[in-house]
Amino acid sequence: MSVPGAEPERPVDPQWYKRAVFYEVLVRGFADSNGDGTGDLKGLTSKLDYLQWLGIDCVWLLPIYQSPLRDGGYDISDYFTILPEFGDLGDFVELVDEAHKRGMRVVADLVMNHTSDQHPWFQASREDPAGPYGDFYVWSDDDTRYRDARIIFVDTEKSNWTFDPVRQQYYWHRFFAHQPDLNFENPAVQEAMLAVLRFWLDLGIDGFRLDAVPYLYEEEGTNSENLPRTHEYLKRVRKEIDDLYPDRVLLAEANQWPADVVQYFGDGDECHMAFHFPLMPRIFMAVRREQRFPISESLAQTPDIPETCQWGIFLRNHDELTLEMVTDDERDYMWAEYAQDPRMKANIGIRRRLAPLLDNSRDQMELFTALLLSLPGSPVLYYGDEIGMGDNIWLGDRDGVRTPMQWTPDRNAGFSNCDPGRLYLPVIMDPLYGYQGLNVEAQMRTSTSLLHWTRRMIETRKRHPTFGCGSFTELGASNPSVLAFVREFGDDRVLCVNNLSRFPQPVELDLRRYEGVVPVEMLGGMHFPRIGELPYLLTLPGHGFYWFTLPTPRDEG
Amino acid sequence: MTSDAEGDVIAQLADLLREWLPKQRWFAGKDREARSIRVVSRRDLAISAVDSDDAGPTLLHLILDIDGTVYQILIGVRPELPAQLDHALVGHLEGFGMLYDATHDQTIMRQILVWIRDDVALDGVTFRPEPGAAIDVDAPSLVLVGEQSNTSVVYGEHAILKLFRILAPGTNPDLEITRALTEIGNPHVAAVRGWIEAPLEGVPTTLGVLQEFLRNGSDGWALALTSVRDLFAEGDLHAGEVGGDFAAESERLGIATADVHLALAQALPTSVAASRAVSELVASMRARLAAAASSVPNLQPHAAAIDSVFDALASSQEPLQLQRVHGDYHLGQVMRTEAGWVLLDFEGEPGAPIEERAALSSPLRDVAGMLRSFDYASRYLLADHPGAPQLEYRATEWADRNRDAFCVGYAKAAGRDPREEHLLLRAFQLDKAVYEVVYEARNRPGWVHIPLGSIERLLAA
Repeated sequence: MSVPGAEPERPVDPQWYKRAVFYEVLVRGFADSNGDGTGDLKGLTSKLDYLQWLGIDCVWLLPIYQSPLRDGGYDISDYFTILPEFGDLGDFVELVDEAHKRGMRVVADLVMNHTSDQHPWFQASREDPAGPYGDFYVWSDDDTRYRDARIIFVDTEKSNWTFDPVRQQYYWHRFFAHQPDLNFENPAVQEAMLAVLRFWLDLGIDGFRLDAVPYLYEEEGTNSENLPRTHEYLKRVRKEIDDLYPDRVLLAEANQWPADVVQYFGDGDECHMAFHFPLMPRIFMAVRREQRFPISESLAQTPDIPETCQWGIFLRNHDELTLEMVTDDERDYMWAEYAQDPRMKANIGIRRRLAPLLDNSRDQMELFTALLLSLPGSPVLYYGDEIGMGDNIWLGDRDGVRTPMQWTPDRNAGFSNCDPGRLYLPVIMDPLYGYQGLNVEAQMRTSTSLLHWTRRMIETRKRHPTFGCGSFTELGASNPSVLAFVREFGDDRVLCVNNLSRFPQPVELDLRRYEGVVPVEMLGGMHFPRIGELPYLLTLPGHGFYWFTLPTPRDEG
Repeated sequence: MTSDAEGDVIAQLADLLREWLPKQRWFAGKDREARSIRVVSRRDLAISAVDSDDAGPTLLHLILDIDGTVYQILIGVRPELPAQLDHALVGHLEGFGMLYDATHDQTIMRQILVWIRDDVALDGVTFRPEPGAAIDVDAPSLVLVGEQSNTSVVYGEHAILKLFRILAPGTNPDLEITRALTEIGNPHVAAVRGWIEAPLEGVPTTLGVLQEFLRNGSDGWALALTSVRDLFAEGDLHAGEVGGDFAAESERLGIATADVHLALAQALPTSVAASRAVSELVASMRARLAAAASSVPNLQPHAAAIDSVFDALASSQEPLQLQRVHGDYHLGQVMRTEAGWVLLDFEGEPGAPIEERAALSSPLRDVAGMLRSFDYASRYLLADHPGAPQLEYRATEWADRNRDAFCVGYAKAAGRDPREEHLLLRAFQLDKAVYEVVYEARNRPGWVHIPLGSIERLLAA
C-alpha cells in the first residue's frame, strides 16, 4: 500500500543481488544530455526507462569521480566530486532516485587501493612528510622492500617503487606510477576510506564494486596479495554496511582464481559478491572446442560459497581477460589451451565485443546469452551487447569497445546532438555493425530482434528464482558437445540443455531422479514427453539450447 | 523337485537360452547358434521383496559352458512378470515361472548391492565391500545399453556394477589393478567399492566389480571424434588452427597414462626382460604377422619390411622394462571427467586366460595402442565423407599432432619420451596394425586401408 504523493518505499530485500540482472554502463558512452559529445549522468537517467523495459535490476557504473583520466577514471583525484563532464552530485542523486522509483539499483566502481598522484592527499604527503597526510601513502628511503610482490603492468612499469623528487623518497604503487598506493596501516587512511563509503551510501548508492581489493596491505616475505589484514579491513567495511546500510552490496574485483576469490566472501561477513573470472573464457573455449569440459571443469573446481554470497558472471566487460592469475602448475589448463590455439591466444588480450567475437552469429549470441543467464551467478550484461553492437579495432584496444551506444539511425546514433567531430569517440559506421542499421530503435520495432529476444530471456529468468539462488547439478550427458544441468531451488526446478557444437546433436540424459515429470519448455510452454527410467533423448540444432521447467508431478486420479 | 525334473528344467532352460543368447550383445557366438550348453554351476538365490509381503523373485545364477566358452548368466524368476520387465523376458518355464534377464530387475539388483554391503557368502558366492566404501543400496538400478562384452548396471548416480559375462578362472585383472590403484589413491581410476567372486575350476574367480560411476564423464573416442568432425568441417585450416583442436587433451591424456604406468610399477610386480623374453615377444609378433599375411594378401607386400623391424628388435640389446599394463588401451577405454582423464577396463582381452592377461609387459604396448587409436579416430569419419582425398591429408595431420601431444604429455610425467624408444614403439604399433588388418578384413573389408595405410607410414618413418 502506498500513500498518494509519497515515495513508494522499497521492500527490504537483503539478498536482491542474488537474483538481479546487472548491466554495466559506461556513463561516457551511454547518452549525452547536454550536447558536449560526452555521455553524462543526466543522459543515463533519461535512458532508465529503456533499462527497466529490458529487465535490468541494477546498473553498474564505471568510475564517476574527479580524475585526470590517465587510467579510465581508476585514478581518482577527489572521492567526493563527480567528474564534471558527467555532471554533478545533484545529477547523481537524481539518477539514484529515478532508478529507485523504477525498482532498479545503482552501484559504482570505487578504488580503495590507490589514488591519482593528483589527489590532494598525495600532494600534501609528498610536500609535508610530517603533516597530517605525511603517512597516507607507502614511502621508503629505498626501493628494496616487498621484493616478492609481482609487477602487474610489466610492459610499462619496471618496479613497484618510484622515486619522488619532491619528498626525496620512493613511493609504492602496484599499478601505474601515477597511482600511488594508500597506506592502510595508517588508521587515518582506514577512517578516510570509510568516510568516502559513507558519503556515497548516504546519497543513496546501492553498493560498490571494489576495484583492486587484493592489494590493500603489503607485507615483507609475501607476495602482498590477499593478506589477512586486507580481509580484516574488508570485514570492517562490511560491518559498517550491515549496521548502517542494510540492502547494499559490496562486489569484490579480485582477478584471481575462484579458490582464492572465495576468501573475499569470508564467512558471509566480507563481500557479498565477487566476479567469477575464469568462467567467461571457458565458455568461449567450450564452444570453440565444441565440448563441455572447459565449463564443467571450471564449475567443478569452483568452491561452495556462503549462502548469502553470489558470483558475478559475464561474457564481456570493459576489461580484457588477463592471464595474470595463471602461474601455478596445477592451474595450467587455460594456459595450455590458449598457448596452443592461435585464435584463442589472439583474442585473449584483445578487447572485442561479443558480436564480433562470435562472427556476428545470432545462434551463438543466443547460446552464449542463454548460458550467461542460466549458469550459477548473477549475470552482468555489457552495454550494447543486448543489440549485438560491434567494436572499432582501429581505436586501440581500450577504446574499441567503448564507442557510443547506438540508439537510433539519426545523427551520432541518437547518442548526442553535438557536431559529430565533438564525439568522445566516433560511432560505429561499418556496413555490418553501423548504427544506421543496428540500433535500439530499429530492434525495438522488430519483434524477432536480438534485443527483444534478450528481453524475453531476462524476463523468463526472472520468473524463476532458481537461476539466481538454486543449486547447480551437471547431468553427465552422453554427448560431450552437450552441456546439461539442473538448477534447483525448492520446487523451482529448471533443466538447461545446451549444444556447444555448430552441428545438430542428439543427447541422452539420465533423468531418472525426475521420473514421472513432464518437462515444459520455458519459452513456448510446450509439454515434452514424460521422463521415464530410460535415458531421455533430445535432439538439438547446432548451437541450440532448451530451458525446461521440471514441475513436480501432480497426483493423478 | 526330483533330479529328473531337475534335468528337465535345465533342458527346457537351455532351449530358451538358445533363442535368447544370440540377441545379447555380450554373447560371442552371434553368427552361430549356441549348440552345446553345459551347466558349470547353478545357484537359486532367494530375493526378499522390498515393498510387499509376497515372496520375492528368485535369482537363478548360472555359470554355463556354451560351446567351450564359460559365461555368467543371471536369470530372474517370478510367477508373473510385471509390465516393466516385459522387455527382459526370456521365456516361460512350465512349473517354474517366468524367466527374464535379472539385470533389469531393480529388486534383484538392489539385493546384490545389499549383499556386497553386508559382506556375505551365499552358496559359495562371496560378496565383498572395499573397506570404507560407501554403498547406497537405495539408489535405483539401470542397465546400461551399448556395452559389448560385459553388462554394467548403474546405481543412482554414484556407483556402477560391472558383471563379467565371459569368465576365465582367477581374479580379473580389472579388479586387481583398479583395487591396487584405488588403494594408493591414484586419481586416474574409478575407485573400487566392492566385488563378487565364486570358485571356478577351484579358483576364486571375479564375477563382478562395483565401482565409482563417472556420471559426468565422456569417453575419449567421442571427444576425439568431436574434434575431428570440427576439423573436417573447416577443410582449409590446419589441425592446430581449428577450434576443436584436441592436442591439449591428448597431452593431458599422455600425462594421465604415464601416471598410471608409474603407479602400476610402484604397486605391482615389475621385472627386466631377459633376452629370451624379448625373443619370445618377437616370436609372437612374427607368428601373428605370418598368419595375417597368409590370410590378407594386401599385407604381403609389407611383410618383409615389417619382419625386418621385428628382426632389429630381436637383435637389440636394450633391456626391456616389464610391468603390469592396461593391455587393451585405446580411446574407448578412457573417460574425460570434470577432474581429468580416468582409465577404465583393465581386464585385457576377455576370453584370454587370466595368466596371459596378467602377464607383465612393456608400458609401450599401451602407448602404441593409444597411438593407433588416434589414427583410427582421425579416419573414422572418412568412411562416408565426400571429398576424402583432401580430408585424408587433414586426418594424417590431426593424428600426427595428437600422437605427438600424447607423447609429450607422457614424457612430462614419465620422465622419458616414448618416441625415444623408437624401435620398440614401432614394433608394437606394427604388431597392433597387423592385428587390425586381419580384424578389418574379416569384419569391415572397406576399412582395411586404414591399418594398411598406417603400416605404410610406419615403415616409411
